[in-house]
Amino acid sequence: MELGFLDRPHGAGGVRVTGAALVDELGYSLGCDRMHPTGAPVLTAPPGDAPASFLTEAFRGQDDHALKFLHGTTTLAFVFQGGVVVAVDSRASMGQYIGSGSVRKIIEINPYLLGTMAGGAADCSFWERDLGRRCRLYELRNKERISVAAASKLLANTVYGYKGMGLSMGTMITGWDKTGPNLFYVDNDGTRLKGHKFSVGSGSTYAYGVLDQGYHWDLTVEDALELGRRSIFHATHRDAASGGFINVYHVKEDGWVNISHEDSGMTKYYEYKAQSAAVDSTAMES
Amino acid sequence: MDPLLRPGHNAPHLPAAMGPGYADVFDRLSRQGGRVETTGTNALPTFDAHAGAKQASFQPYQNNGGSVVAVAGKDFCVVASDTRFGLGFAVPTRMISRNLVLNDKVVLATAGMQADTCTLHKVLRIRLDMYRQNHGKDMSLGAVSQLLSNTLYYKRFFPYYTFNVLGGVDENGEGFCYGYDAIGSHEKVKVVCTGSSQSLIQPVLDNQVDGKQMYDGQPVAELSLEQTVELVKDCFSSAGERDIYTVGLDGRGQPPLYVKILKLAFVLTSHPLRSKYTRSHFIQGQSPAVRDSQTTTDTYFT
Amino acid sequence: MSILEYNGGCVVAMAGKECVAIAADRRLGIQLQTLACDANRVFRMHDKLFLGLTGLMTDITSLHNSFDFKLNMYSMREGRLMSPQTFSSLVASTLYEKRFGPYFSEPVIAGLNKDNTPFLCAMDLLGAAAYADDFVVSGTCAESLFGTCETFYRPDLGPDDLFETISQAMLSALDRDCISGWGVTVHIITPEGVTAKSLKARMD
Repeated sequence: MELGFLDRPHGAGGVRVTGAALVDELGYSLGCDRMHPTGAPVLTAPPGDAPASFLTEAFRGQDDHALKFLHGTTTLAFVFQGGVVVAVDSRASMGQYIGSGSVRKIIEINPYLLGTMAGGAADCSFWERDLGRRCRLYELRNKERISVAAASKLLANTVYGYKGMGLSMGTMITGWDKTGPNLFYVDNDGTRLKGHKFSVGSGSTYAYGVLDQGYHWDLTVEDALELGRRSIFHATHRDAASGGFINVYHVKEDGWVNISHEDSGMTKYYEYKAQSAAVDSTAMES
Repeated sequence: MDPLLRPGHNAPHLPAAMGPGYADVFDRLSRQGGRVETTGTNALPTFDAHAGAKQASFQPYQNNGGSVVAVAGKDFCVVASDTRFGLGFAVPTRMISRNLVLNDKVVLATAGMQADTCTLHKVLRIRLDMYRQNHGKDMSLGAVSQLLSNTLYYKRFFPYYTFNVLGGVDENGEGFCYGYDAIGSHEKVKVVCTGSSQSLIQPVLDNQVDGKQMYDGQPVAELSLEQTVELVKDCFSSAGERDIYTVGLDGRGQPPLYVKILKLAFVLTSHPLRSKYTRSHFIQGQSPAVRDSQTTTDTYFT
Repeated sequence: MSILEYNGGCVVAMAGKECVAIAADRRLGIQLQTLACDANRVFRMHDKLFLGLTGLMTDITSLHNSFDFKLNMYSMREGRLMSPQTFSSLVASTLYEKRFGPYFSEPVIAGLNKDNTPFLCAMDLLGAAAYADDFVVSGTCAESLFGTCETFYRPDLGPDDLFETISQAMLSALDRDCISGWGVTVHIITPEGVTAKSLKARMD
């Protein structure tokens, strides 16, 4: 083991220490070695008494260098007779720059639970990964799967503990449990809502427009999936912070299925355009 | 001693953060006209006696610039970074390494603040050493990628001011890279650039490696290792022309660029860059978008 | 968000051998909301002189009208077309006239000189001109355009190669910018005439 750094003036001291002691000694700099009684990791708090505005203050007067995190999204999920449809885009923007065009915003918590990602990418993926770990622990302790209600409450309680610290997260937790298909909205304020139809993110208003127009409880599975896809497509077209690929999942009694992954701005745009052109010409003929 | 002023102890548990914290303490002391200087793991604010009751803002970050690139191929990964260390308009040195060889299959490259880079690299090196001792083997690329993400996220509220790319060869011998934001959001990709020239280099890599503008879905020809290295060099020499925080050609015609190539075992090389217009990569073949373009207006004649 | 980025959009111009190309995107938005995909921000001043304007659309329209008027007056009075160099001075002084309440627009001028050598010029919103012999960029994805142009550009390209190069440079940069895109127009200016083409671009 390379311990040369220990001899340097800014190292942890000149004593040779064992692995375990090293963690203690450097406990702080190694990051998170503490757990909250609930089993959730406890994050290092920033210096000062205003955690949410810490970064703004730290970069005051140097806008060019300010830290930008990945943001921007359209996500949606709705419950219908055939289960739950979850559809999302794949763009992550940092300011106006597109940080990535291929983000997976549907997070597979486990084979029967899905979470979506809107707001800060790191916040969502970290806490939903942590949620997956805790759901697995629940299963091992109780010998049965966790309900969607309980899982979403675990997440809501965790982020509620960080209220006012500047987390950014708008997520939908969905899955199928003993009570059937379930859908919950959870955000960084600690809000937790049960519902049938949600859309979250900068493009959500556009998605709601299409979704509300076409939604019906009795939709066939095929129509429901297409409705989700269409809603995301129109949002990516109008909202500059949404785009890339449209990912669609279907939650069924025996777990979720990854339905499709299609290019929104190129393939789908020109496909839909050709379709509506065909419809127009038929209308002209008749 | 006030526990809140103990060096290296500014990582309170969650409830402590909700109560009075550092700003309060310094505010109190500065109101008394005192001068507080502390040293610790992190840069702490210094208050000037002349400042009186004014609250000085806490500026723990500086941007030292730099750009890092990783390009993965079928059985290799190229990780490259420039070596310019910037401080405002000054250049204290043109020879720092942003790369950290984690083991013989994984290399990390970090742009941003040099002090945070050093700390992050130290933390990761210790973690990897501990893993090696506990498990008797090197950590895999995938495991390192998650470790890095968590390490960054644990400092979610006081982030490392670093922009990372991780490149390497996985258990199956296939090259991959991971791009990160400052707080650990990451994605497994084939090509990535972060740092000050991100917006200059990334679109070039999208075009040349991913074939993003080849809209008809035809797979683009995979670049060989040699072609990849040439492309990466050209990207840096292009970025150096336009971005003052990333090095281009230096005065001695020995522009430093560290390129690490992982092909089961890594080779560490330093490459000179080429001058403008002699770069090897340029438009090859026609984009379908161009082929399908419509001439909307007829030719005007003068 | 800067007022220059309120509507989105970008322009790039490149010099070839006895030809120049100027490309612009088609988006008109209000911040993140896309309003139209048929915006024009490149204008033909005469057959060997094109003006691209990025920034606030209302100022783009005002400036375009004002330059059209000034060019017409000039050609009626002088009985000849304005040279690109003269035009760039006109643009610069027009912008500087509003030094303390500027038009929020950054122009790009592309044209052919009398001897058919390429002319390129870019300006900031106050009229500080920068002349180049290779390429000039302006707009919300200027940085990305610098990156792509710097790598893809080669001197002395013919009209066809120049078209391919400017198109790929433009498309690559646009695909990393939220508030530009939704279509691209490219004008190739040669001594024989001007060709306008529209590219099939991403619509998200």
